[in-house]
Amino acid sequence: MKDINEKLSAIIDDELINDELIDDLLNDEECQASFYRYHLIGDVMRDEAPHQLLEIDISQQVMSRIEEQSVDTLIEPVIATDNVVDMPATKAKIYPENNVISFAKRFGQYAIAASVAGVVVVSSLMTSQPAIENNGLEVLKTVPFGGATPVSLQATQQQSQQAVKDYNERLDALLKDHQLQLQTQP
Amino acid sequence: MKRNLFFVTLVSGLFVLISSATHASEVAEINSTAAVETHKEAPLTAFQFLQLMQTAYKELNYELLYLNNLQNQVEPKQLIHGVIEDQEIAYFRFLNGAMRESLHYSGKTSYFEQGSQAYTLQSTFNQSVFANIANFDYEQGKNSYEYIILGNGRIAGKKAIAIRMISKDKYRYSYVVWLDIETHLPLRLDTLNESNVMLEQVMVVSLQVTEDINPWLESLTSQQLPEILHLPQNSEQVSAWELDWLPTGFSVVKNDLHKLVMHENEPVSYIMINDGIVTVSIYISGKKMQSQEKPQIIKRGAMVVYTDQTNDIEVNIVGEIPVATAQRLVESVVKVKANQQ
Repeated sequence: MKDINEKLSAIIDDELINDELIDDLLNDEECQASFYRYHLIGDVMRDEAPHQLLEIDISQQVMSRIEEQSVDTLIEPVIATDNVVDMPATKAKIYPENNVISFAKRFGQYAIAASVAGVVVVSSLMTSQPAIENNGLEVLKTVPFGGATPVSLQATQQQSQQAVKDYNERLDALLKDHQLQLQTQP
Repeated sequence: MKRNLFFVTLVSGLFVLISSATHASEVAEINSTAAVETHKEAPLTAFQFLQLMQTAYKELNYELLYLNNLQNQVEPKQLIHGVIEDQEIAYFRFLNGAMRESLHYSGKTSYFEQGSQAYTLQSTFNQSVFANIANFDYEQGKNSYEYIILGNGRIAGKKAIAIRMISKDKYRYSYVVWLDIETHLPLRLDTLNESNVMLEQVMVVSLQVTEDINPWLESLTSQQLPEILHLPQNSEQVSAWELDWLPTGFSVVKNDLHKLVMHENEPVSYIMINDGIVTVSIYISGKKMQSQEKPQIIKRGAMVVYTDQTNDIEVNIVGEIPVATAQRLVESVVKVKANQQ
């Protein structure tokens, strides 16, 4: 084996061209793998490795893992008789399922935030309509630049609507002030 | 006995001689092979990459199209940056929805928005995207972060390298900064919390670097800017409060009494702290909201608003910090002793 490896590297370095060896190479899968690896090593050393380097051979592993997983997660392994036909089917089953879980998880976390954000925008719009005395500072009531966008409130049921509104207004004022302070940061 | 000792020294001396000789020849061998195989300069460290990024960000002429990703909401934005006579000029705008633009040049930032009057504020502080990481003092930051190269990848069609800024404590977020290997400009910034969940992401989708400044951007410098707005609300007074604890790297930047822009007429005590990456506002006032027993925490991406009411005093903390930091900051707010005032 070591002998073959040496010859392989000789071929790569253009030092040895041998029909027999090339035939060997074409017939032996293991040889081809080493040949590929040697080239890859050379590429990496010369910093010519393609970006896809990361994908080297993971596909195989991923596929086999998916296969294992499919048996674990779906409790209907009866279908898994013919691998070739089965693969895409199980894959299709797994992907949407995973997506749904992660999405639902996220949605659960942010749903309240998102829905109340709408309320805050409306309330802040309404409160900024009437002319409140503020020394010609209307311009600063615009949507702040940068980060701070409307906030949200996890309203508990005891809180009256007015309290929620006051709270939102207050938070809005704080956020806008924060933004303004950022803008005039020394 | 003496002779025995002599013998031992002799033998060990010989041994040392032989081993160092073989060692030397080994080293020489390694050196020669190394010289053949890697005639390239030593790879840069994460710290060096970050420093290159800082210079590139400030000194190059470029245009970025980028996405702000926050809680599954994506906002496309644009930044055009140029340098005129050693002065940075940065134009920013939202690409979707109502026109919102800003121009940062020579210590002033002008804001333009559809449907309202444009205004200019005086501030040398650059708020553009990536400006915080581009102006951060990474040398000092070594006290609060560790810099590690994560690996290579591809962003906006460019070969990129990822560098992780890992927080050394739980009082700040961690970041992953992606840089273009060629120009060293930042291409992506992820904000991660303690459990490595991504809170926010800024990702460049198109980067164009030019030799000369964008002519349109240059023409903006000669344009009349909106009037400078002086904020009447800022008083000279110092707040009656101080902090007896600050997270590593943070310092107090502002400490005053001022009125909030909205309908509040009573001034609030205000303290601003900053660590170069994030800015945190601390508001101290009498109770303004309906009493709550527990502290109220509102999060949106990295931004947190923390409200705490104790003994008729309300403390509000606004900033891109973990809840743990806000909590500890609230506890650290103390009244300035009378004789110090």
